[in-house]
Amino acid sequence: MELGLLQVWEGGWISAILRGAAITIALGMASMAFGAVIGVGCGLIKWARIFPLTLVVDFYTSVVRGVPELLIIYLLFFSSVEFVARVAAAFGYEGLAGNGYAFTIAVVAIAAISGAYSTEVVRGALAAIPSGHIEAARALGIPGRRIFRRIIAPQMLRIAIPGMNNVWQTTIKDTALVSVVGLQELMRVAFVGAGSTRNPFIFYFIAALVYLAITLVSQGGFDWIERLLRPRTRK
Amino acid sequence: MNFELVFLAVPTLAKGLRLTAMLTVASVAIGFNLGLALAVMRLSNNRALSGFAKGYSTVFRGTPLLVQLFLFYYGLGQLSFVRDNPVLWWIVGDGAHCAVTALALNTAAYTSEILRGGLMSIPGGLVEAAQACGMSRLLCFRRITFPLAIRQALPAYGNELVLVVKGTSLASTITVLEITGHAKRLMSQTYAILEIFAIAGLLYLLINLVLITLVRLLEAHLTRYLPR
Amino acid sequence: MLNKGNQNMKLKSLLIATFFATGLTAAHAAEGELSIGTEGEYPPWSMADAAGNVTGFDADVGNLLCAKLEMKCHFVVQAFDGLIPALKAKRFDIIISGMSITAERKKQINFSVGYAELANMFVVKKDSDLAGVKDIEALLTSLDGRTVGVQAGTTHAHFMEKRASSAVLKTYDTLDQMQIDLASGRVEAAFADSSALQDFLGRPDGKEFQFVDVKVLSTFDPTLGEGIGVGIAQENTELKARIDKALCEMVADGSIGKASQTWFKTDISRPCQ
Repeated sequence: MELGLLQVWEGGWISAILRGAAITIALGMASMAFGAVIGVGCGLIKWARIFPLTLVVDFYTSVVRGVPELLIIYLLFFSSVEFVARVAAAFGYEGLAGNGYAFTIAVVAIAAISGAYSTEVVRGALAAIPSGHIEAARALGIPGRRIFRRIIAPQMLRIAIPGMNNVWQTTIKDTALVSVVGLQELMRVAFVGAGSTRNPFIFYFIAALVYLAITLVSQGGFDWIERLLRPRTRK
Repeated sequence: MNFELVFLAVPTLAKGLRLTAMLTVASVAIGFNLGLALAVMRLSNNRALSGFAKGYSTVFRGTPLLVQLFLFYYGLGQLSFVRDNPVLWWIVGDGAHCAVTALALNTAAYTSEILRGGLMSIPGGLVEAAQACGMSRLLCFRRITFPLAIRQALPAYGNELVLVVKGTSLASTITVLEITGHAKRLMSQTYAILEIFAIAGLLYLLINLVLITLVRLLEAHLTRYLPR
Repeated sequence: MLNKGNQNMKLKSLLIATFFATGLTAAHAAEGELSIGTEGEYPPWSMADAAGNVTGFDADVGNLLCAKLEMKCHFVVQAFDGLIPALKAKRFDIIISGMSITAERKKQINFSVGYAELANMFVVKKDSDLAGVKDIEALLTSLDGRTVGVQAGTTHAHFMEKRASSAVLKTYDTLDQMQIDLASGRVEAAFADSSALQDFLGRPDGKEFQFVDVKVLSTFDPTLGEGIGVGIAQENTELKARIDKALCEMVADGSIGKASQTWFKTDISRPCQ
């Protein structure tokens, strides 16, 4: 058969693709987690309009959201940014060979992108909290930290869920771009398989199916969380 | 910053700017119309049509653009019936044509979702009133539904346009020499990575700034009845 | 295959032997790790499998070199045009990836002595009118307006940009992508080193193709480099001295020649000058 399904099966590519998918998911989750941390920090700064910091955050989000992801990834991978090495060292990844180093830079790159979008989502969610709630809490004399913990954070979380779903979907798709610099994730495995077996159609087709499965399953998960957190109201 | 390098890089990257702009315009022109058709299909009462539109949007929004691009360029290029068909080969055989096709099909999926939201936001009473006046369905769509839906969807569509501009950078992975392609080639000649990518990034920011300004102007024009 | 397994065994016993022999300088051996950057997608030079193991001529040279230097090696796979930036970012200590020594690259990193040299050639379809061209100048002028594939960041790409700028150049991240496009007819000719293209001609999709009988050597244009060398970070002069000495010995005792015979069926080693 022209498509080479047999070669995919016999060449042991199925397990390689599954391993790649696992790396893709791990990369997506790690980037999403760091991105969410960035998003909450920067989102709070933007919402509270903390003066000099808002300018920095504005610069960060507009640059990252206006420049192609591919360019950001090339820049981080190819430039001799000591910064990345230092981040890696801080997490104890010094001297990590091959995939470990690539994985760390990939997380830094994707988290930076994901974080910019998360920032907007968090800011939007914070802005959607009725100011009356906070005023009422102040009037009751509840201290600031507790207002954040009991009033702001829970509402923000609920309102931000659909937006975070969008960010996650974008993040998992952005991980495919890291393949161009050599991390052995799903797209890279498809890429190497397509090159060495000369059957690009079947490999990219399988990769597309796996990505679709990942996005559909996680969509279902987010829908479930959203239902779970929906406030009970009268019908 | 090395100024000699800037003088070398700016003209080269400006050449890429033209192609990036052309890729964007072509993909948006095709993708918008396709997206509109899909949005209308999605809202139709015909199960098959709405099912197709939903499936299309799920598949294209659920997979990375890079995979779609490689599937079109390398995947379809492998099939002999595609290679032997002159029309298909005209589309798939050339990197730029292939990039426009993939980008247009991709943005059509996102556009259909945005326009569907716009179309659904129109109060039923307006359409009923139009019908009561004796407007045909097509006339009603052209005069009432479509303009209102566009106005509603414009801010979201502006974001989508930025995503298309950013998406054109992926064309560099299938040998198209747009801004990113030129930037990568310059990088392997000069190794001045930071400078070249900074200039390339600025060009993209410039394009997006122009686009967003145009969308804002159009938005102001469409909502000119509102008090300011 | 069997032969190769044998070689590996020998290599292993050699490594073990050197390990015991240098037992007294264990402190030095502990820090004696060398990470080698290589492309991993350039047969028969450097091929990485799904698990990240590297084989090929580059891998053999790397392993031989490490045995000579009494160091432990591991390979880091990285796209070719990212190798030099990654070396500068200290992602690995040296590059062994069939990399030609050129003046441009020397501004960025240091090189060992050249230890191998290969002719560069064009591949075209058998029925192409370029197939019969015998003269390099004639070949370069007749490329005018035609699409030629090269790998991004290679000496081949720089050579084409300089000497055949009227040709439409398509650059690819990997050789595989270039060969897929050559086979599908998207590019009319491909320019690379003869060994890599020989590999393509031996594949099913390379059947309809042939070499243009013109060998483009570095003597024709210095853009093509001064042979193939090991890339070393500029500040690492002590390592360079040791690698130079080891490479010269390896060429002289025929071990590089032997590895070359395994992968290229010909000796491409280049004696030290």
